[in-house]
Amino acid sequence: MHKLKIITPIATIAALSIAGHATAQQNGDIAYPEETLNWTVAFGPGGGNDLMSRTVVEILNKYDLYGDQDIIVENREGGSGAVGWSFVKNQQGNNYHITSTSGNFIATPLVSNTDWNYADFTPVGLLANDAMFFVVPEDSEFETMEDFVEAAESERLTVGGIGAAGPDRVVAGLLMESADIEFEYVPSQDGGQVVTSLTSGSVDAIVSNPSEVAGQIEAGNFRALGYTEAERSDIYPDVPTFVEQGYDFSFSLPRGVVLPGGVDEEVQEWWIDTMKEVVETSEWKDYLKTNGLSGNTIWGDDFSDYLENTSGQFEKTLKDIGATE
Amino acid sequence: MIADIFGNLGMGLSVAITPINLLFLFIGAFVGMIVGLFPGFGPAAGIAILLPLTFGLDPTTAIIMLAGIYYGAMYGGTITSILINTPGESATVASTLDGYPLAQQGRAGPALVMQAIASFVGGTTGVILICALIPTLANLAASFGPSEYFLIILFGLLLLATVMGDNKINGIISALIGFAVGMVGVDVISGSQRFTFGSPELIGGIYFVPVAIGLFGIGELLYCIYIGQHKIELKKLRLSFRSENFWPTRKDYSESKFTFIRGSVIGFIAGLLPGSGGTLGSIMGYSIEKKVAKDPEKFGKGEMRGLVAPECANNAASAGSMVPLLSLGIPGSGSTAVLLGAFMMWGLRPGPMMIVNDPEFVWGLIASMYLGNIVLIFLCIAAIPLFVKFLDIPYRLVIPIIVVLCVVGTYALHSSIIETWMLVAGGLLGFGMKLYGYSPAATVLALVLGGMAENTLLQSLIASDGSLMVFVERPISLFLTCAVAVVLLAPYALKLYRYVTKRNVGLV
Repeated sequence: MHKLKIITPIATIAALSIAGHATAQQNGDIAYPEETLNWTVAFGPGGGNDLMSRTVVEILNKYDLYGDQDIIVENREGGSGAVGWSFVKNQQGNNYHITSTSGNFIATPLVSNTDWNYADFTPVGLLANDAMFFVVPEDSEFETMEDFVEAAESERLTVGGIGAAGPDRVVAGLLMESADIEFEYVPSQDGGQVVTSLTSGSVDAIVSNPSEVAGQIEAGNFRALGYTEAERSDIYPDVPTFVEQGYDFSFSLPRGVVLPGGVDEEVQEWWIDTMKEVVETSEWKDYLKTNGLSGNTIWGDDFSDYLENTSGQFEKTLKDIGATE
Repeated sequence: MIADIFGNLGMGLSVAITPINLLFLFIGAFVGMIVGLFPGFGPAAGIAILLPLTFGLDPTTAIIMLAGIYYGAMYGGTITSILINTPGESATVASTLDGYPLAQQGRAGPALVMQAIASFVGGTTGVILICALIPTLANLAASFGPSEYFLIILFGLLLLATVMGDNKINGIISALIGFAVGMVGVDVISGSQRFTFGSPELIGGIYFVPVAIGLFGIGELLYCIYIGQHKIELKKLRLSFRSENFWPTRKDYSESKFTFIRGSVIGFIAGLLPGSGGTLGSIMGYSIEKKVAKDPEKFGKGEMRGLVAPECANNAASAGSMVPLLSLGIPGSGSTAVLLGAFMMWGLRPGPMMIVNDPEFVWGLIASMYLGNIVLIFLCIAAIPLFVKFLDIPYRLVIPIIVVLCVVGTYALHSSIIETWMLVAGGLLGFGMKLYGYSPAATVLALVLGGMAENTLLQSLIASDGSLMVFVERPISLFLTCAVAVVLLAPYALKLYRYVTKRNVGLV
């Protein structure tokens, strides 16, 4: 259980040393953690980001993964995450700050003038995937994605989703591009509105987070035709991915963890190892199940690549629809 | 159907009846009543000011407490209408018409007891009707798309403008201020930013709760200071159970037994309409009662029926206005707009999906409204002498407490100093509006509904490829379009009718 904890207490002022100059060879050689951890949530209490952070912190505490030090979770909301993540960005080189990411971690820097973007942070890992469903009503004529795509070639179809420039819009854009079709995207304000736009027959299909439509799918009112992740979800194994139906794209929101830029490499390694333990716990698996997330993980520099790729998808969509220059 | 309702209600009661929930329901009702006692402070201000007190509670408990505050402030507002002719908010204005004359005749005791009973009957009737309607409406609401939402909001806003009272222009200007404030932030449809001036704090838009606390709370206080409310020596009222004439007479009850039913039903129906709520309900309740009475000349001079009718109506309306709030997520009044803000703070998004996804919560809330009414009638009657004493507290002691509650409360919402400044700005605006006869409630409602109206209109048009036919092709849309047309054309039709009849009379 405690195998990750410090063995040799050297490098006491780890927080001040600059990455690259650290003398420690392997993880385990640093004295970490020695201070209280500041976990910043860039959103208010009760949201998806907050829930994930608090779940992770609970697990860290329960299994004593963060030694006998305390963890303080602080909500710093404002500007769709701009305020909170800017705060963490300014903790450059501080080993005792950490924050959780979500779709806005990518989108907010693209739409507003923030003094940071994903590249300013030290990646730890992607802990969960928040991918999207493509959903039609149960009585819809579309049984597969192919039906929908075929119909879209000859008639004007409408697809609902949350927000004009959010992840749902990105998925719609990716689908249009890969299937080489056109349909009208109808943005709604929140998940409830998206669902009623489908129940009321105002749109032909919607892009939605699985958790928003889980109840309707269970009740047999909705049918999911496609899943945007590269692999099928373990919670909805019956829903085929877009990739396997021949539409070559995957998209998901990064529910992950990052540290400020310039922290010690050992600290980054320490967190990767620790988070790998976190995602193995039964509490984490319960969290994934309750929230309809899939548990595919990505660590370290691969997480950076993932963030870069997702940011690219976002940026392109935003440019296509003219939300940014 | 009936079994379903009882089943649902049973589930609701099992959620609501825990010692903690009951305790907070009681505290909410009690504190709500006290806030309602201050002139100018009604349910909207009550919920806005006391919202922070619910932080740290379990969400269900918090919402139950807020429902208690909502009802409590409603009850409390009437006490001042009767005793000192100062209504807490527009919904209790009609209660002053006969309530105050009753008090002047030395019948304050019976008037207060009767208003408590009337509020109870109205509130309870309202909740029973909610139980019967919510499941059906929730099903119906699932077939409400953007076009229906837009029409309902439009209908509500039009109604709001028509019931605004004496000065429609001021009412409309107040609503326009709300729309303007609501424009700030990211446009949901295009994704571009409006009026954010590059400030990340404004990207998410201006949150209406600080504005509401400012308008309702700080604005009202400034106005009270301006008119010198704190200097007025209130004449001390003495009331106790033992005093003569404390209880209503047999005649009071027997005369108004049908008034209870009429008032409650009228109020509930008025409450269902978004944008009207308690104000329209109580005024309609009063005037219809006067019309059906054989002795209308007694009204306005201390007639018990003239108090019972608006009281039943405004409490039934506050229950009724929960229906559009819970089933569609559309608030019908300033108070339900603030309540909507409170729900959202707790991560609950009212709408058809809430009843599907969170039935325990919805029915728990409805059950707590029953309990709230029961708690309040006891509280009201048992504590009348106590509440009358609260009126003796000098205003200069009350004002600082409310200011502190407003400021701390707003900061506690999101720990944002910018929102605290918005509170201050809202307060100054509210003072100016009050001073020159504008309507802060219309501003708040427009702030909440304006964005919704814009988004749903654009969604309808995107989905229909720009065709306005979407508003008449769908059956519910067609019905709503007709309703909007009626509200728009009714005043002109009425004018024309009067003109024509006048001419006919003249010709004959």
